Amino acid sequence: MLEIRDLHASVAGQPILKGLNLTVKPGEVHAIMGPNGSGKSTLANVLAGRDNYEITGGEALFDGKSLADMEPEDRARLGLFLAFQYPVEIPGVSNMEFLKAALEATRAAQGKEEWDSVTLLRKAREACKQVDLDAQFLKRGVNEGFSGGEKKRNEIMQMMLMEPKLALLDETDSGLDIDALQTVAKGVNSLRSPERGIVLVTHYQRLLDYIVPDYVHVLSGGKIIKSGGKELALELEQHGYGWLTGGQNGGNDKEDQTA
Amino acid sequence: MSGENALNLPEDLKARALQNARQATPAEALAPLRADALAALEAAAFPGRKTEAWKYTSLYALTDGHLAARAEGAAPADLPVLSEYRLVIVNGRLDETHTALPEGVTLGRAARHLDGLTTPFAFYNGAALDDAVTLEVAANADVAAPVQVLHVAAGDAPSHCNVRLEVNLGSGSRLTLIEQYLARGPVLTNAVTAIRAADNAHLTHYRLQADGGDSLHIGTLLLQQTGVSRIDSYQLMAGNRLRRNDVRAFLDKSGAELNMHGVFVARERSHIDNQLCVEHRVPDCTSNQVYRGLAGEKGRAVLNGRIHIHPGAKGTLAELSNKNLLLNAGAEIDTKPELEIYNDDVKCAHGATVGQLDAMQQFYLQSRGISAAEAKRMLSLGFVNELIMGLPDQAVADWAQPWIAAELGERPVADGEAA
Repeated sequence: MLEIRDLHASVAGQPILKGLNLTVKPGEVHAIMGPNGSGKSTLANVLAGRDNYEITGGEALFDGKSLADMEPEDRARLGLFLAFQYPVEIPGVSNMEFLKAALEATRAAQGKEEWDSVTLLRKAREACKQVDLDAQFLKRGVNEGFSGGEKKRNEIMQMMLMEPKLALLDETDSGLDIDALQTVAKGVNSLRSPERGIVLVTHYQRLLDYIVPDYVHVLSGGKIIKSGGKELALELEQHGYGWLTGGQNGGNDKEDQTA
Repeated sequence: MSGENALNLPEDLKARALQNARQATPAEALAPLRADALAALEAAAFPGRKTEAWKYTSLYALTDGHLAARAEGAAPADLPVLSEYRLVIVNGRLDETHTALPEGVTLGRAARHLDGLTTPFAFYNGAALDDAVTLEVAANADVAAPVQVLHVAAGDAPSHCNVRLEVNLGSGSRLTLIEQYLARGPVLTNAVTAIRAADNAHLTHYRLQADGGDSLHIGTLLLQQTGVSRIDSYQLMAGNRLRRNDVRAFLDKSGAELNMHGVFVARERSHIDNQLCVEHRVPDCTSNQVYRGLAGEKGRAVLNGRIHIHPGAKGTLAELSNKNLLLNAGAEIDTKPELEIYNDDVKCAHGATVGQLDAMQQFYLQSRGISAAEAKRMLSLGFVNELIMGLPDQAVADWAQPWIAAELGERPVADGEAA
């Protein structure tokens, strides 16, 4: 479903990904871990098609189609979903209006039946309930004045409604307290299915206590330097990234500032 | 006067205005106004390129000869109905067949020369008026249904009309006034609206100017709060060939409150110039102004927001916010808050911004499958939606929502320009 071969990518002209390989098959959950600045968020943003995140070499195929020159909306319509590390506030556009536009566009493109407004509202309320988000949030501006945790729940709520083929979660655990983390994990776990691929980008092991991955990859210096099963995450937790990268922490904060 | 030399435009406009005014044969009730206004017109100079208050608005369009002819077109058949109570004024004359007014509101046909008027166009309006409409709201009248005043201007050739509306709210009265301008063809509407509010009066006022295209509008809105009153004014405006609105508000009794909300949109090659001036002349009055502007393609919008706090006006609270959004590189918005404060005991805040659509917001919407064009439309609408959603009267909100949606709809990109 996702086939990344020798991917090179730069952000605003600066090379960040330097030969990354990754294959995700339907039903699999992959965790991508790595120190700050290793390229984790860059990978998520490149795949979603953010401006200035440019593929300079290699390829990224989603269901056999190259993502390189595809508009972000076309990627979403094919079934790719990015849960943002920093969800954007959009005052004046209500969450409900936003969901309606998003679901109309994606469901039509995917040949799924259209939801009328009653169905949409019912589904949206159900999804809110699953992530412990008050249904009042549907009326508010998109992420407007939401706390950090509410924004992350809102991302998962959208993901549940959009039923993507491939979900990329960019540091969805950051800034969450333990209760919110469990709620978010429950939402993600409910989406695990044999047809769906999930990629979790995370700095810490603790998310993986709740969403148990099939594969764990360590990203450093723009490449995956080690892959393994879920036990790799535990080893990382014990030894730190320096164990693999050779440095204390190996990396810098550059990526998180640009991401 | 087509073929006129643009270099002499101010002089030519004045000569034409004077000639028209001297030939006017007003009704007896308008004769005193005409005499005063004519004297003011004689002493006034029409703005030229170097007139500061007209820096961004050229009157070049008037070289087509709008002042040389009166508008005489017929009103369109499908006039908008926003209330059961309404007046229809066609090319400056009241069409009495439509008149319906609620209890407590009396119609008059006289008007006075007013000190607060400053532009030569406002003087010309008084000096060459064919008709005037005055609404007197009786003391303590609580008028529940809105009164819609529809100003229609129509003509096939460059021409103009003078329209004048005066509304006087008696003490303790309450009124919702919907002023709506509708022009068809290359017609200049030269408008003056003057509103006076006595003690404990409350006016909800709408000024809807959605007549776009080749029409022109030069107007003054004068708000005189002579009593401890409250005025909430909502102004929705689309750019057209030339739109110039002077709004002058006088807070003349302690405790008076003025709230003005405005949305203006200049698309294609349209133009809109808002000159706001709020005069705090006595202590303890409050004014709050929130304007949002959008310009796209080659549109141009201007806002000058002057707040003048006089030496005696202690305890004044005055705020002005004007945020603007440029939809593309060819559009232009010029905004300037202008504060003149002559005492220390005031709370005054102002802010003006001009920005572009946020790339991150746009990406967020697109990452959910929403097309770039739709994302742009949603964000533009979101920018003004708070003001549109805040319109207190349902009939106006129902009118405003499709209007703003159409204004923000997709437009063809102007020649040689990236969106």
